[in-house]
Amino acid sequence: MIRTAAAVRRRARVRRASILAFLAVMGPGIITGFAGNDAGGVTTYTSVGAHYGFEMMWLLLLSTVGLLVIQEMCARMGAVTGKGLSDLIRERFGVRWTIVAMFALLIANGSNIVAEYAGIAASLQLFGVQRIVSVPIAAVLIWVLVVFFSYRIVERALFVLVLAYIAYPISAFIVGPPWGEVVRDSVIPTLPIGQAALIAALALVGTTITPYMQFYIQASVVDKGIDRDQYRFERVDVLLGAILTGLNGFFIVVVAGAVLHPAGIHVDSAADAAQALGPLAGQQAQLLFGVGLFGASLLAATIMPLSTSYAICEAFGWESGISKNFREAPVFMGLFTLLVVVGALIVLSPSVPLIPVILVSQNVNGLLLPIVLVFILKLAGDRRIMGDHANGRVSQWIGIGTAVGASVLSIALVAITIVGAAP
Amino acid sequence: MPYLSEIQHRRVIEPNGNEVGKLADIAVVPQGQFPAAQWAILSTPSGEKVVRWGDLAQEIGHLRLRNRLETTPDAQLPPEALRLARDLLDKQIVDTHGAKVVRVNDLQLSEVDGQLRLVGADVGLRGLLRRVGAETVAERVAGLAGRRLPRGIIPWHLVEPLEAAHDAPAKTAAVRLTIPHAKLALLHPADIADIVEEMTADERIAVFQQLDLETAAEALQEVEPEMQAAIVTDLPEERAADILEEMDPDEAADLLQDLSEERRDELVELMDKEEAKDVEELLTHPEDSAGGIMTTDFVALPREFTAAQAIDELRAKKPDPQLTYYLYVVDAEGKLEGVLSLRDLVVAAPETKVSDIMDPNVLKVDAETPKEEVAALIAKYDLLGLPVVDARKKLLGTVTVDDVVELMLPRGWKKRSLRSIAR
Repeated sequence: MIRTAAAVRRRARVRRASILAFLAVMGPGIITGFAGNDAGGVTTYTSVGAHYGFEMMWLLLLSTVGLLVIQEMCARMGAVTGKGLSDLIRERFGVRWTIVAMFALLIANGSNIVAEYAGIAASLQLFGVQRIVSVPIAAVLIWVLVVFFSYRIVERALFVLVLAYIAYPISAFIVGPPWGEVVRDSVIPTLPIGQAALIAALALVGTTITPYMQFYIQASVVDKGIDRDQYRFERVDVLLGAILTGLNGFFIVVVAGAVLHPAGIHVDSAADAAQALGPLAGQQAQLLFGVGLFGASLLAATIMPLSTSYAICEAFGWESGISKNFREAPVFMGLFTLLVVVGALIVLSPSVPLIPVILVSQNVNGLLLPIVLVFILKLAGDRRIMGDHANGRVSQWIGIGTAVGASVLSIALVAITIVGAAP
Repeated sequence: MPYLSEIQHRRVIEPNGNEVGKLADIAVVPQGQFPAAQWAILSTPSGEKVVRWGDLAQEIGHLRLRNRLETTPDAQLPPEALRLARDLLDKQIVDTHGAKVVRVNDLQLSEVDGQLRLVGADVGLRGLLRRVGAETVAERVAGLAGRRLPRGIIPWHLVEPLEAAHDAPAKTAAVRLTIPHAKLALLHPADIADIVEEMTADERIAVFQQLDLETAAEALQEVEPEMQAAIVTDLPEERAADILEEMDPDEAADLLQDLSEERRDELVELMDKEEAKDVEELLTHPEDSAGGIMTTDFVALPREFTAAQAIDELRAKKPDPQLTYYLYVVDAEGKLEGVLSLRDLVVAAPETKVSDIMDPNVLKVDAETPKEEVAALIAKYDLLGLPVVDARKKLLGTVTVDDVVELMLPRGWKKRSLRSIAR
């Protein structure tokens, strides 16, 4: 009798232990998924839905699969090697290629930071705050919070605001889109020809699989000290994160496609984008959209310069750490400050249109994605580095497919732009 | 003094001048202080070939095999061998606490007793620039701005390649910087200072926590002024105050002058009363005047002393060597009356009064004299020291030649000479 009770207790303990083990590693994937819903994400998905209805849904689904596979590779590399992505790039490819990779990352993330400030400006404009006021305040606030406090505080507070995005799935069911059409467009690939469509398609890929997410998830896995044994739990976390990004995009496109597209509303401003939430929130649509966009933009505008500086300093062996001062970590602090300042300055210029800037930034990400992917695929497939955990054939081919797909879109866009520009 | 990046990829030719491949890598067995190059890995059209390093002769621009490639025996790399480019280059050097420090940008090799040996890891900007072939250009640009590119070389005997973990799939060699602090203490304080300057802030603090007080004080005196202030700011107050007490009062005063007022007051408060008084007195003088650089330690003999009493006094006080170059004679109020040398004292009959053997014509400066002028006087009259007096001729302190030697040298000379001597 006594023995049975002990056995039951033991079994309960074992089960609790594995749940705890799971919860302990949870986070990197889901946080990265959340971070994907930044200004670039919301704007691009809304714009794609408004212009093309559900037509590009298949591309979103493919991108999500690509995202899942690539994020899994990076998380696995972090768990197996205990090193960040830029660390591995430097050790495997040497100084010259590291400069190429870091330059690509710097430009991609720099354009994202510009997009985040544009998101801050656009969301606060809904509440009547001009960008000449909102952008400098946001930049100073971010710099001070990160340097003198901790970005974790910011992270927690802003997560709450980002929850406003729950409005999209709810709206989707209230609006009741033609689900048949949604499913059809999800499985049958169609792509309108033309520069505008290519821009939209590349932005869609670039915002779903942002290069920054790969560096970020690998760094988080390393930071958390997740090792090979815990990795099977981490896989679930990565899966959930990718699904979160995909679903978020899916519902935004569905709502925009069902509400804005038939009404012929093209997204030229945050106010246009907010109309997508009209059926759910009515008069409060702007408030709901604005809060969500503001939270997401500010969150990403805080994390992005920080993680960029970490990645670059890691690659070149420069002192980094936010608790250090300018004398101790000059490049790290300088880079962080520069990204904040330049990002804000670009958006401050009144001639810069906010929504187009965000879309262009996601194109930049899409253009640079193949470069980063080549490095990731070579590393994750290298048995010298990864041993038995190197990429299997399926992962490797999906990865290559993603890189090729993004490259084809990029080349097509560049080609059509050049041809279009010619008289 | 070749660097790995300069000889890697050099052409390898046979005795008859026929090119057979390129030098891919050099292998060493990491034993001893500076391991010798034992194998060369050649990349030939038919794959990699390992040969003994002795089978190659270094010639200008290329390497020549002593025999034809087919007749050169294949060598086997033992498992403990390290390939410099593959296993060490671009790797991180982590400190003894496992925190990140820097990256191996290049490896310094040197011909010692006819053998090419690994003597240092280049972790500085120069190494990075050399790798991309931009060192010379950058040096010229820096030269135009009147500056020199900093060197950053860690002597190899202080670095230890970390054993790869047993379950690691491959040599993921992180290079661990072992500066065992006990070993560090055996080095000359000036060398400790050089090494410490290359470290991260955290590691630096750890070193100054663990060195014995006297060594810590001497090493701190040799560290660059800006870094001194950073170290003293980051150290726990008690420890910082203890080290300052051990330093020469003039050096301590200079250092304190660079700190924030708050921190300075805290530290002076914690210091031993007597040392604190000396230092506070020095702090009242501007940093670049004779009063700012002088030390308040000196040997002052009352005029009525006999030679025998004076020698007894010296035996009792055991002053530092640089304070015994000149012995000063003062009256009851401390006014400077004359000077004599240790020799004068020793050769004089024991009963002779010091006032009879002293030279009453003393060259002296007042506390406000600019330090450059002090240096000029010392240089002109070949002095080893110069007394500093106030308006009423009261002896305040002395400036010894070691306090001004840096002013007499061309900019940057000290650093350079030390490094070249160390080689």
